[in-house]
Amino acid sequence: MSKSIQYTYFPGCTIPFRLPHFELTMREVLKKLNVELVTDEAHSCCPEPTTFPGVDIEAWFTVGARNIAVSESYNRDTVALCSGCFHTLSVVKHTLHSDDAIRERVNKRLKKIGMQATGEVAVKNILHVLHEDIGLKRIAKEITNPLKGLSIASHYGCHLVRPIEATLMDDAENPRWMEDIISVVGAEPVDYKDKMACCGAPIGPSDEDKSFKITAKKLRKIADSGADAIVLICPTCYTQLEMQQKKALEYLDPDFNIPVLYLGEMLALAMGMKDVVIENSRRYHRVKIQPLLEKMEAGE
Amino acid sequence: MTKTVVVIGAGLAGIQVSQQLTDLGLKVHLVEREATVGGLSSHLGKVFPTDDCALCLDVCEDLYDGKHRRCQYRTLLGKQKGLAVHIQTEVKSIKKESGKYSVSLKTGPRFVSEERCVVCLECIKVCDVEVPDSANLGRSSRKAIYRPFPQGVPLVPVIDIESCTKCGKCMDVCGVDAIDLGGKAKSRTVKADAVVVATGVEERDPGPLPGYAYGECDDVLTQRELARLLDPTGPTSGSVLTASGKTVKSVTMVLCAGSRDLNAARYCSQACCTYSLKHAVMLRELGIDVTICYMDLRVPLHSKQYLSLARDLGVSFIRGKPDHVTVQDGAPFVSVEDTESKKLLEFGSDLVVLASPLIPLAAKETQFRNMLDQYGFITSPKGIYACGTSTGPTDIPTSVTEANSVALQVYIDLGGA
Amino acid sequence: MTSSRTSSDLAFREWILQQPEGFTLLRCYQCGRCTSACPVAAIDMSFNPRLFLEKLILADESLAEERLIWTCLTCEQCEVRCPEHVKIPEILVLAKVRGLVSGNTPQTALDRARAILSQGRTILVSEPMLKTREKMGLPDLGEPPTQQLIKILKDLGTAERVQSIESRYGGVGDE
Repeated sequence: MSKSIQYTYFPGCTIPFRLPHFELTMREVLKKLNVELVTDEAHSCCPEPTTFPGVDIEAWFTVGARNIAVSESYNRDTVALCSGCFHTLSVVKHTLHSDDAIRERVNKRLKKIGMQATGEVAVKNILHVLHEDIGLKRIAKEITNPLKGLSIASHYGCHLVRPIEATLMDDAENPRWMEDIISVVGAEPVDYKDKMACCGAPIGPSDEDKSFKITAKKLRKIADSGADAIVLICPTCYTQLEMQQKKALEYLDPDFNIPVLYLGEMLALAMGMKDVVIENSRRYHRVKIQPLLEKMEAGE
Repeated sequence: MTKTVVVIGAGLAGIQVSQQLTDLGLKVHLVEREATVGGLSSHLGKVFPTDDCALCLDVCEDLYDGKHRRCQYRTLLGKQKGLAVHIQTEVKSIKKESGKYSVSLKTGPRFVSEERCVVCLECIKVCDVEVPDSANLGRSSRKAIYRPFPQGVPLVPVIDIESCTKCGKCMDVCGVDAIDLGGKAKSRTVKADAVVVATGVEERDPGPLPGYAYGECDDVLTQRELARLLDPTGPTSGSVLTASGKTVKSVTMVLCAGSRDLNAARYCSQACCTYSLKHAVMLRELGIDVTICYMDLRVPLHSKQYLSLARDLGVSFIRGKPDHVTVQDGAPFVSVEDTESKKLLEFGSDLVVLASPLIPLAAKETQFRNMLDQYGFITSPKGIYACGTSTGPTDIPTSVTEANSVALQVYIDLGGA
Repeated sequence: MTSSRTSSDLAFREWILQQPEGFTLLRCYQCGRCTSACPVAAIDMSFNPRLFLEKLILADESLAEERLIWTCLTCEQCEVRCPEHVKIPEILVLAKVRGLVSGNTPQTALDRARAILSQGRTILVSEPMLKTREKMGLPDLGEPPTQQLIKILKDLGTAERVQSIESRYGGVGDE
């Protein structure tokens, strides 16, 4: 395959400006898999799905539809790395497709800026791209440093998977695509109770206490499974489970410590791009990943 | 020439329609796939609304007083002229040619002759092979040569040839030469003027239903499995025990575990509220505590006594549909909102029993494919008749009533015998 | 079912039923599986999705004033388990929208909305952030066309509304 496959990259706000190591690692991984992400300045905030709909649902649909219209102007699929962006775009696309009344209302507004949205563009998340489009066989070819000896628990997060009629993931209660990728990189995927339990982040702004109680429950269930690390996709879940892990400690055992990797970081480590992960780990990881890397070396 | 009807399925409705048609003078071929007749009713022990045992009365000759009563209990199957019962027989195809049906049948070998066997059961005694009895939750074992239910008709044993070691001990001990381990399947085609489908229902496997831990915890059962435990001829001789053999002191029932549910069966299964209450009453009579978690209680007029009796006997009722069953220290814990007090409850019991939907067996067969509605029940038979739960889930009195009316309809349509 | 402040507003319920997912409200037969499934209800029994749906079915508008509705995780566990596939979190969102006018909205939600409407992003992008991207070799994402956003939202009046509302709950820090 000499020519690379292109996807329109919907960047969102959080990954490019708060957690750019997500974008960096995944771009490098996709490069090895012959996939290119192309950006368009015309995209705005998706808009953010956990609070903006509750402020003005119609505005949320409208701004989302404008982003869909931008994506539709290209003859390619759109991929969003952020689960929140993916959720917004896939729900808006699904609704445009299935609800005539709202499609009409929204397109009346978009006409004022010379745009129209049909809902025909394919909106994908990184698992669609890796698991379904590229395929496990192809990914396996690039694995040079299998993560032998590591057991990894996957956290899908709610907005990546639900509602399933819009996200088109494999299953709303027990998705398996990330476990397949964990196996392909040579690690052992670990099951734990209530794998679809929410990380708790969405209610942080309204009730921080409840939010962390829910985070603590999730982390405890993962710890009970004996996993060495958590791998995830969503930047908000990452902030809650990784960067706020110590804060959630009030409800947990003080020695609690479980490293969290972004999916791109896990793949980068297994594809021989350890440096790009280590360079950024001090800045973006509060829970040290050094023990994990050591275990990885030991397994090699 | 006498008209001929083929009835597919010897459950209660199939038996009833066959008996009625035979009484009306027609020839009937009653075809049954299993080794014994009775269908789902064989598993149930006591049935509502009379608490009689469906099997015993089905076949008990002593209760025949010379007059036929029009209910399922006076069957005397196989004793009437004009009624041929084909056991262990499957329908391979149904073809219509110039107004008549050609029904091709395959009768799998029983390996024991129904004509010769005198039901001494010595063959079962000498058999060395023991396998778990799947009809009885795998909690008891049976031999390779066995009778599925003690009162099952025909009373003659059947051989499970896959488990059989062909040692021949049963043949040696048989005093009437009834056993032939080399038996073969037989095919035949029956020509009929009408076909009645009475294939009935089975309980849906609750495994795929999320949250209820069926299959994960051995003490989460279905109502049919509970009926086996309560049946004196069941695997525990009527004692209600956990999978580990402990005496059960408390049971929690979950109604609508999959019925009226877009994630499972969309329709109401009609009979399960009542048979759950029937079981609750039986459990209370054994001194076992019962809690029923329900959304609605749908009990027909002919069985309303089960609900009042359940209340009088102290069954606890919680109006709320549980979301999940978790296993804590080996015991099943049910989580449910009590919608009346608005409190979230979580409590353990020795057993959790799920009222799983009744799903149609006809949906599994290709020959009925174009007669089925969206749920798999027979809706537009296209010249073929149907009765019993094959047309929709219901209770026994309704099934039997429908069988009576279908028999009359067939008689009228065929212009008499 | 009884609450001390009940106000019935059929117009509000009508509006819910006209929204793309709001029409599923009338499918609810109050089984309670949602409340039993809800992770928030598990730690706070007063958060009761079934009860919220009951109120909306009965056209009780007071739900829009309750702070509790903003503690919905939007995790959709209730929706996944609901036998009627009622779009519960989406319906609660509609109650949130109704409550905006009286300030029943967390400060963070208002801040983010203002940022989206004025900058086209939830995050105010700073120079250091841009420099980091440059160092990592990541492409410049430019400026979102905020004028377009203003034009298409004009008839809704979102920007004006969001500017004028004060959150009842004061300033709760953003992440």
